[in-house]
Amino acid sequence: MKTVITAALAVTLLFGVSQSALAVDRGGTLAYGRYADSLFLEPVLNDGNVDIWVLSNLYDTLILPTDDGQGLRPGLATDWKVSEDGLSVTLTLRDGIKFSDGSPITVDDVKWSLERAAKPDNGIWQFLVQSIDHVETEGDKTVVIKLKKTDPAILSALTVFNTGIMPKKLFEAAAGATDAEKAKAFAEHPVSSGPFMLQSWQKGADMKLAKNPYYWDKGEDGQPLPYLDGIDFQVIPDDATRILKLQSGELQGAEFIPYARVSELKNDDNINMELFPSTRVEYVTLNVRPQLNGKDNPLSNEKFRQALNYATNKRAIIQIVTHGVGTEMTSFMSKATPLHAGDTPLYPYDIAKAKQLMSESGVPAGSELTLLTLAGNQDEVGIATALQQMWQALGVKLNIQQVDNASRTEQYRAGTFQMRLAAWTDDIADPNEITSYFAYSPTIDAIHTSWKNDEVNKLFEQSQSETDPEKRREEYARIQEIFNSTGPIVPLYETPYPVALSKKVHDFVQIPLGNNIFRSTWMSK
Amino acid sequence: MSLLPYIFRRILQLIPTLVFILVVVFVLVRLLPGDPASALIGDRALDADVQRINHELGLDQPLPVQFLYFLKQVATGDLGNSLSLKAPVIDIVAQRLPVTILLTTMAAVIALLFAVPLAFLAALRQDGVVDTVIRGVFQVGLSMPVFYLGLVLLTVLAAGLHWFPVGGYGETFPDRVYHLFLPALTLALSLAAVLMRNLRSAIIGVLGAEYVDFARAKGLKSRLILIRHVLRNALISTVTLFGLSVGTLLGGAVITETVFAVPGAGRLMIDSIYGRDYPMVQGLTLALAVLVSLTFLLTDIVQAWLDPRVAR
Amino acid sequence: MTVAAPTATTTPRRRRARLLRLPSTLIAGAIILLVSLLLALFPQLIAPYDPTAFDYNALLAPPSAAHLLGSDSFGRDVLSRVIHAYGLDLQIAVFATVPAFTVGVIVGALVGYAGGWVEAVFGRVVDAVITFPFLVLVIAIVAVLGPGLTNMYIAVGVVGWVFYARLVAAEVKVQKRLDYADAGRVMGYRPLRIIFRHLLPNSITPAIVYWMTDMALAILLGSSLGYLGLGAQPPASEWGVQIADGKNFMNTAWWISVFPGVAIVITGLGFSLLGDGLAELLRTRK
Repeated sequence: MKTVITAALAVTLLFGVSQSALAVDRGGTLAYGRYADSLFLEPVLNDGNVDIWVLSNLYDTLILPTDDGQGLRPGLATDWKVSEDGLSVTLTLRDGIKFSDGSPITVDDVKWSLERAAKPDNGIWQFLVQSIDHVETEGDKTVVIKLKKTDPAILSALTVFNTGIMPKKLFEAAAGATDAEKAKAFAEHPVSSGPFMLQSWQKGADMKLAKNPYYWDKGEDGQPLPYLDGIDFQVIPDDATRILKLQSGELQGAEFIPYARVSELKNDDNINMELFPSTRVEYVTLNVRPQLNGKDNPLSNEKFRQALNYATNKRAIIQIVTHGVGTEMTSFMSKATPLHAGDTPLYPYDIAKAKQLMSESGVPAGSELTLLTLAGNQDEVGIATALQQMWQALGVKLNIQQVDNASRTEQYRAGTFQMRLAAWTDDIADPNEITSYFAYSPTIDAIHTSWKNDEVNKLFEQSQSETDPEKRREEYARIQEIFNSTGPIVPLYETPYPVALSKKVHDFVQIPLGNNIFRSTWMSK
Repeated sequence: MSLLPYIFRRILQLIPTLVFILVVVFVLVRLLPGDPASALIGDRALDADVQRINHELGLDQPLPVQFLYFLKQVATGDLGNSLSLKAPVIDIVAQRLPVTILLTTMAAVIALLFAVPLAFLAALRQDGVVDTVIRGVFQVGLSMPVFYLGLVLLTVLAAGLHWFPVGGYGETFPDRVYHLFLPALTLALSLAAVLMRNLRSAIIGVLGAEYVDFARAKGLKSRLILIRHVLRNALISTVTLFGLSVGTLLGGAVITETVFAVPGAGRLMIDSIYGRDYPMVQGLTLALAVLVSLTFLLTDIVQAWLDPRVAR
Repeated sequence: MTVAAPTATTTPRRRRARLLRLPSTLIAGAIILLVSLLLALFPQLIAPYDPTAFDYNALLAPPSAAHLLGSDSFGRDVLSRVIHAYGLDLQIAVFATVPAFTVGVIVGALVGYAGGWVEAVFGRVVDAVITFPFLVLVIAIVAVLGPGLTNMYIAVGVVGWVFYARLVAAEVKVQKRLDYADAGRVMGYRPLRIIFRHLLPNSITPAIVYWMTDMALAILLGSSLGYLGLGAQPPASEWGVQIADGKNFMNTAWWISVFPGVAIVITGLGFSLLGDGLAELLRTRK
């Protein structure tokens, strides 16, 4: 009897599960509140996250990232193979793929799109695909990417926004003489290869996307994706207003929920408070140049940097600033970054050790430091205020200077800043981007701090063409070990992406790189 | 009418003012630390990227050359392209400015509707209960930062009672007025408080003046006295203040537009300054300067009408 | 209210009655501001805690015996921060407005009296100042001098004086055509004496009333700039910045922003009452 019941239960459970999985509602327009509007919806020439994070809805790549952001799954290409010598990648295009105007996506479009992304001096993301030499086509289904050198990250690179496939003929027919002018003209009336297409755009206020009727992927009901008729991205810069608009039912989703309000929204019955795993890390950048503006710079002293690190109570900052949402960093790169190494928090709070390191360093008490923070950014002001208080215990006086982004960037790039707060998110599911910027000095002087380690530089260069995954893992482990113990930062915390959604919204995901994926999102009626 | 030459003269006088403002803004935005390229790309910019972009934008030219080029552009009615939005400045201004005009006009009307009757009420009952209550309420209104007041109104009237939408901007004109009511109210309150206080004090002053006593002695009815003598004379400084406050109103619009997610010119201005979007800042300054000057002119005309001696 | 004078509409004999007494509003305003001044000068005598000290065990604590007005997200005592902010906020109110008031009133009186081309030139200057985008100016000054309150004083001063100048000029223009000014001229007084001894006292009331409002507005501007990160710098406590800090906690910890708001209301009220009182005093002295 008992077994029968269990079996029946199992059947209903199974049935129930598959039933609910099939019961996907189609249609509807999802209104999504964004913190800031996109500027230039152009895979190759865009300048930042406001564009990148929505681009994957408009332009599909040959390979797509999995929802955890680390794996690969078929996109416009159904399969791929890296050659024995590691110098070419052969991909097969999917049958029947079309652009949003109904015209077929051909090998020519793919060849042109990839070569455009790999052209030097074309946009700021070229470094992600700089190993591509040229692209060859075989027949009307096969594309062969020829590399200049072996590149362990090439498959990940083919999932990144700047390798999105665009229609060659329409782009070249657009008005303008240069690639930049044509890109601008094309972006006014783009034809896309992703699940959505641009319907209307009032810059700075409202951007409407409509479903691409020719999209190749199928939903659970066997009909073409996406489920949604469209997305309405509304720009609502004030956090509190964005939340109110969600609570009043005028929005179905809102990004960048302030950490202070996460637990409050978790208790709201009509809202799903999502915390999507991310690659975002927050840290203080320390300029290690021996002299700054003609004065000696104590930050050039490694022991002093370590003292500051041990005197920083990261758990308290996580509590005060992120209200428990953040976690301690175990390496300079986030735990969601492939090849991340480290399982204990960096520099656990230890004021005795900090004081000892301080006296060993020979830096006199009463030293003053200046920290640049972004004017009006509550999180940064909070961190800065906490650091000011915490470092007082070492006799260090921290001056906080609030400046706007352009001023800070200028001092940063010139290397004249002393300390600044900064955050980072990866753009590729590979550790090479963050390592190149943070630790490999030829790129930007190790986040403009002038920190330099020859071993790290050598290891990074090796790892960039290392085809043995195990060896590459070891190289990255060593790079992280060196940077984490002697590097030019005070690691603070990593945080997920806080997104609040109406309970009606299902299967929306923001992957660790930040991309908002609406491909299979649906809303219950 | 004798006012016409006055108006004509004032409009002519506007031109040198506008040129002066343009020159100052042109130089000032370029003196700000940071360049458009690093504002645009941010922290990950490589030196080569920045140089390339600055070259594309013509920012590697000497300042006088840039200015001459800019003047040539303005003379042909072209304000250039926005660096960050990658669209003609004229188009964006045409899209954003009407929003701000509607918002500030509504705010001005609301402020006057509050200030004038309540100032009379308060002045006639000087130091009484009504006066105290009116002044107390305005004092609280005056003491709330715009962003906070805006959030309180949104929380209570929009999200709570659903009387109004939570921010945004509608499609049709009546819908837009409906969307802009709360932001306009927010913007209006501090102006209403300033005007109310000024007008109340002016009315009390005029009521005590000799000519009102004289008029009363002549046996004019109280209501006539109020309208013909008191209001006319009391309004002089209030109208001055009102004209001057248009600039302040536009300044307040920056924050109101941010809180209420209104796609207006104020918010665009601050975004453009932060983004070092030189052509956009220049274009917006020009547009706002024309707008403010015209309003200013309008208040001067009203003043000349109230007191013909002013126009002389 | 024994000091309260009869209102204008009730008796024409009020002037004689008032000569001997100070207006009640003046006294009330002065008392509020005097108390504020004491708090500004000796905050440590009354504030129970160090305004910058964190208490990790009392983050966002509601008002209680330990923290009378609660604590903020750093566990800092709100009451102590409100009290310690008096110094800075009164400083903002005064420094941001006094230079503008002084310069504005003098220029306004001279321009209003002179008229003609002087007034025309002045009109252009006013146009330029008023139409100049204020925030561009503030951000530019901050960029040159670094952020902080000094920049705010400069920016507000550069723009603010025209308000007073326009107000006074408009009044003086009207007053100078009245009989007593003509009488002064007939008696051979020098223009400066006519302007500052006779015309100005009769024309300054709107400027004084506006000045008192302006002081409250200056504190609010400090708050708006604090919202943009351009105002008072941490860890200094300032009401406007406190209100901005409490924005994310409106629903969960209202005390962070409400009590500094109350302080602004009371102080603003003090300025308003003082302004009304002064205006009344000037009228009765006519």
